[in-house]
Amino acid sequence: MDHSSETPSHCKNADRDFGFYAIIAFVLLIAIWLLLMPWIPGIASQALQRFHLRTPSFAVWAMQFPIPSMYNFANQYKVDEFPPELVMLVFDEKWRYANHFPARVITFFAGRHDFLSSQTDRWFTLKSSYRGQTLESKFHLEAQAEGGYRLIRMDDDEESS
Amino acid sequence: MNDEGTARTVSNSTALNRPGIAYRIVQAAILVTLLWKWEFYLQANSLYAAIPIADPFFPDWLESVWTVRTAFWTSILAVGIGLLTTIALLRKVSSWIALGSMSVLCIHQASYNDMTFITAWWCCLWSLWLAYRLDTENRELLIRRAAFLSRLIISVIFLGGAAGKWTPEYWSGEVLYDIYFIDRDFWLFNYLRETYEAESLQEIAKWYSRQVVIMETLSGIGLWALPARWAATIGVLLLTGIVILSNKYLLSVMACLIGLACVGFLVPRRSKIAMGTRQPMSTTGTPGS
Repeated sequence: MDHSSETPSHCKNADRDFGFYAIIAFVLLIAIWLLLMPWIPGIASQALQRFHLRTPSFAVWAMQFPIPSMYNFANQYKVDEFPPELVMLVFDEKWRYANHFPARVITFFAGRHDFLSSQTDRWFTLKSSYRGQTLESKFHLEAQAEGGYRLIRMDDDEESS
Repeated sequence: MNDEGTARTVSNSTALNRPGIAYRIVQAAILVTLLWKWEFYLQANSLYAAIPIADPFFPDWLESVWTVRTAFWTSILAVGIGLLTTIALLRKVSSWIALGSMSVLCIHQASYNDMTFITAWWCCLWSLWLAYRLDTENRELLIRRAAFLSRLIISVIFLGGAAGKWTPEYWSGEVLYDIYFIDRDFWLFNYLRETYEAESLQEIAKWYSRQVVIMETLSGIGLWALPARWAATIGVLLLTGIVILSNKYLLSVMACLIGLACVGFLVPRRSKIAMGTRQPMSTTGTPGS
């Protein structure tokens, strides 16, 4: 049935609400992405890389920010005062879980306060797992003479499934 | 729709500017969200300046403490103006600015990981859409659409939480046991630690984690399809429950979503006369409302 001839003009305007349909389409796209994540390893891999700040391009990483990811994946981290080779010989590994974006222990204010206030070198290891897929990343935070740190990514190819 | 039904619908929707109220509720909720991050701002102000991290992954301006300061204050100012202004143009401009500054916070090195800015970003997107529609005369259609988008957004946020937890470490409770049960200083976990042995705590953590996974999955898949008021009630209860049972910091993440969920309460009940007659074309355009 054609409603157009009997619809008041303000209703026609209301129906031409492209923003409304654009948001629906956008949400639908994200929902499909999320629903496919458990079944398509490539999507999960993208998400894991996003969590470790290891997406090959910053632009691709930034484009993913609207995808909600509260408390996603089993994210673990450990922080060492010595390089990883030395720590493996001397100490037991002490891992803790982080809720999401485990690189937050380096970048977010709480992590900076807890681990980087000393202005000495630190080594961070992050490990995220999702349905049998694991991504491990190592970061060296090198203290700078002028204050602050330089972040150096180590072992950029440690990904397993 | 007959004349009487039309008249009743129109009188209902003109008596109260429901979309306008919805817009202000969400702006107020976003403000609560941002102001709850006051500690973040104070820390950002000092720590990020004192301990900068040079990472080639981020552009320089997205590592700068000045960018965080500016984006945070700009977003508060823009949302505040959106809350108070009655000038349509100003409302639109402030909505753009709020969305822009929130986008910056979502990709800045100092704040990208904080879900507060992600949920606030979604609320700002919703606000921007509504800011451009508030002069629409058909307010009933508008509030139904606003409520539909609100529960759609809340659903996808729940779905995002759920999908990442469909993994054995969450089903076993291992992750949340470590994050919450071992040493989190919050009334619920303090009480459980004082009352139960470690073995029982692990069992409680397992069921706590499972209920989170199930609740988020069901909400993510189904909340958007519920009638507006049902979705609003369930949404507010769930979002509030997460804050009460998890940690107080989550209020910053949830406050704006609670405001967004409340939009569903503003959808007018259909009158019997309207229900008994053919629906106007405008109302059929809103799925699930």
